[in-house]
Amino acid sequence: MAEGHISRRQFIQGASLLGLAALVPAELMNWARAEAAGAGFLFFDDHQAAVVREATARLIPGPLDDPLEMGHPGAREANVTRYIDTMLGALTVTPEKIHAGGPWSNRSGGTTNYMANFIPLTAPQRLGWQKKLASLQKQYADGVKALDAAASGDFVGADNNTKDQVLTNAGAFRDLLFTHAIEGMYSIPEYGGNQNLVGWKEIKFKGDTQPRGYTAAEVTNSDGLDFYLPTGVAATLLQQLDAAAAAMVRQRSYGR
Amino acid sequence: MAGKSKAIIIGSGPGGSTAAMTLAEGGWDVVIFEKGTNYFGDLKSQAPSTLFSNDELKGPTRFFEDPDTDELEPRTYRPDNTTGATFTGFVNNIPTTVGGGAVHFDAKTPRYWDIDFRKKSMLGPIDGADIIDWPFDYAEIAPYYDEIERLIGVAGDIHLIAETPTRAHAPRVNQLPMPPGPPQRSSILLSGGATALGLHPFPAPMAINSVPYDGRPACNNCGQCSHYGCPIHARIGALAPLRRALLAGAELRPESFVSNINRDGTRATGVTWVDYAGKSHTEKADLVVVAANAIESSRLVLLSQLPDPHGVVGKYLMFHWFTAGFGIFLHERPHANRGRSTTHVADDFADPDFPGARAAAAASGLPYFRGGTLELGGTQEPIGEAKTYQFVLATALGGAKPFGTAFKELMRASLLRDRLCGVEMLAEDLPQRTNAVDLDPQVKDYRGFPVARITYSPHEHELAAQRFYIPLLTALLKASGADAAAAVPETSSQLFPVAEGNLPTGAHIMGGLRMSADPALGATDAYGRLHTMDNVVVADGAVFASSGAHNVTLTIMATALRNSRHWVSVFGNRTTAPAPARASELPPTGGPSATAGLAAAAAGVAGIASLRAWPRDERPVRGES
Repeated sequence: MAEGHISRRQFIQGASLLGLAALVPAELMNWARAEAAGAGFLFFDDHQAAVVREATARLIPGPLDDPLEMGHPGAREANVTRYIDTMLGALTVTPEKIHAGGPWSNRSGGTTNYMANFIPLTAPQRLGWQKKLASLQKQYADGVKALDAAASGDFVGADNNTKDQVLTNAGAFRDLLFTHAIEGMYSIPEYGGNQNLVGWKEIKFKGDTQPRGYTAAEVTNSDGLDFYLPTGVAATLLQQLDAAAAAMVRQRSYGR
Repeated sequence: MAGKSKAIIIGSGPGGSTAAMTLAEGGWDVVIFEKGTNYFGDLKSQAPSTLFSNDELKGPTRFFEDPDTDELEPRTYRPDNTTGATFTGFVNNIPTTVGGGAVHFDAKTPRYWDIDFRKKSMLGPIDGADIIDWPFDYAEIAPYYDEIERLIGVAGDIHLIAETPTRAHAPRVNQLPMPPGPPQRSSILLSGGATALGLHPFPAPMAINSVPYDGRPACNNCGQCSHYGCPIHARIGALAPLRRALLAGAELRPESFVSNINRDGTRATGVTWVDYAGKSHTEKADLVVVAANAIESSRLVLLSQLPDPHGVVGKYLMFHWFTAGFGIFLHERPHANRGRSTTHVADDFADPDFPGARAAAAASGLPYFRGGTLELGGTQEPIGEAKTYQFVLATALGGAKPFGTAFKELMRASLLRDRLCGVEMLAEDLPQRTNAVDLDPQVKDYRGFPVARITYSPHEHELAAQRFYIPLLTALLKASGADAAAAVPETSSQLFPVAEGNLPTGAHIMGGLRMSADPALGATDAYGRLHTMDNVVVADGAVFASSGAHNVTLTIMATALRNSRHWVSVFGNRTTAPAPARASELPPTGGPSATAGLAAAAAGVAGIASLRAWPRDERPVRGES
């Protein structure tokens, strides 16, 4: 890890003691408040939602969760808790909130957001999702209890180091939470996450581009020099690119 | 209509739809059974409304257009026949929807080579493999390639296709109906690396409109292409022949699973099928056309207990042997997520005479080997990228805290998405009698029918070729300017454990009911008819006698076109077949109604939504107006 990285971290950690939270943009604070107040979950009770919110905020931290992430929204700001709740309770609404519609939204030149109209499941799809969601619902109910138990009975109230330690040791449930937090960060917002498109903006992804698409020039031309100096974990990734390549292959839907 | 012969077609993908078109236009009554769902509006229109979209969660993550292989319809896998199944679940990709795999294929439409069709006579046998010739050669199939290229709209330029080795092995006379689309930055970069290595990259012929064509718009480069249904029908795929079949009177029945081919001795009498509500029905037919994908077609023949005196049904199953290379660019973001999947290919590694290949093969005890075509310039999408980091943080990178700011930093750097240019080699897989589909003795689908069990291990040919070409893929990426590069096997086995459970992967599935004049060496004859049945024919990749070293869809359709023309002439005992469509009747470049397609795609959405919401019994699934 580069020296500069460490000293930046040390600086910011020091700064946080001086009340860095006061510097968090008001817009982000408003999102966080609105999300925290969000009643009307489909599956979670308030406590489950709070544990999932605080846990996913450790996995994909935003400005309120890690001073290094100033200006970089995370799971809290994207409202991945709403995404996970929408998935777990997807069959309690009509049409079921499993498959968003098409052919496009109103984000890239479309006049109507067809993605907001969910597609009714077929009978076999419903049967499969009933089985899948019954299992996931149990894993979430049990997982929340386990996180609380590992944090002396109160995960939400634990300090960040304790939360990180609990999640590091949480194994399968951590993996499940992380996978769903990722889906909630980067999927189209109709599924309940990626609120205000913060997930896409953070990574310079334009999201769904139909019906506008990209021009031929945008496809063919270079966007110009954009140099990235890998340090820290990115440098390690490049050193271990063979392993990362194997992981990429493993993630592919047609080779999962 | 009394007096008409009736065909039942099982599967509405590229093969089944092509056969349906030929038979319906040849005067037959045609009913197409499709196990999957219809996500389109009026399939008789040039650009029906569609529910597919730029949604990484719906298709690539939640498998919208695939069967539920986790809970309802798994397949099982074992490496050889000495063990029970070692895995139950997702074993290879079989899209199950109206239009089949062509709804989300990456639309590369190369032709197979002369040496694919004449593999035994031109390249020779290999110990441990069961190599035969196809019943026809390149010259015979070439005119059918021409027709399919016009039907589904292939963009490309035959003069830009490499003379060596591609056009030498797959000669072309007629120009493609559309020019190539805009090249992707990522494909340009990797083509530069390929050229620097002395390879011969070129714009891939692709069935994606580069200009308005046949009432459908030009591709607008949205980038969410391979493994996504096209929201604007710039890639029409199997819906083009399906439309012609429906216009000629064919009937389409989605969400209808054929569970048995009924027979009286060696004559099929029709099928038994299960509707969306689980109710069983029978339907009579004069001809049964099986086109449910190589694995599922073999499964259906086995479920039906059709005669198989030589024990060849389900045998000689083949998967393309994939290798993936990843090049990372630190000085620019090559944005491979814009455009049509990957725009360039290179065929050099498919050539058994590639410099050094013969010697490397000999060193492995093989007379020759082949890699396969290279797709130059792909990447992944954000959810896939993020899950990659999730996995490597918990494994290879192995930090004390496998989440948090490290993950965020990787996502911002985007080494494995926006700075990634990928290359994929899809290589030949030799036919082996021991690689097969049969019925799993224990596992059943949710309807109660035994699922397909896949027994598969690679031949030394695939492994030796992969060992030889992996360093060359890395060299290609480095020569392209990548700052870091790696190449890994994508198809996995116990010898190359990559995927969980050491599963064979890849989306291309061939064989199982291969064509051979000798009934002991293949289940179907020179025109895809089961040797043991008078009137059961096969119209998908199951009939392939070799896997080739290129994408499969164009060859599935061309073969189905050739064979189904023959069926019209020999099986149509009560009708006179009209002349097949002439090339002049096929759409010219840039039809006048082309711009209407985009508007139609949106305008029909209300219709499709109400279709999905109607009570099942009243759903207008029938093809007639």
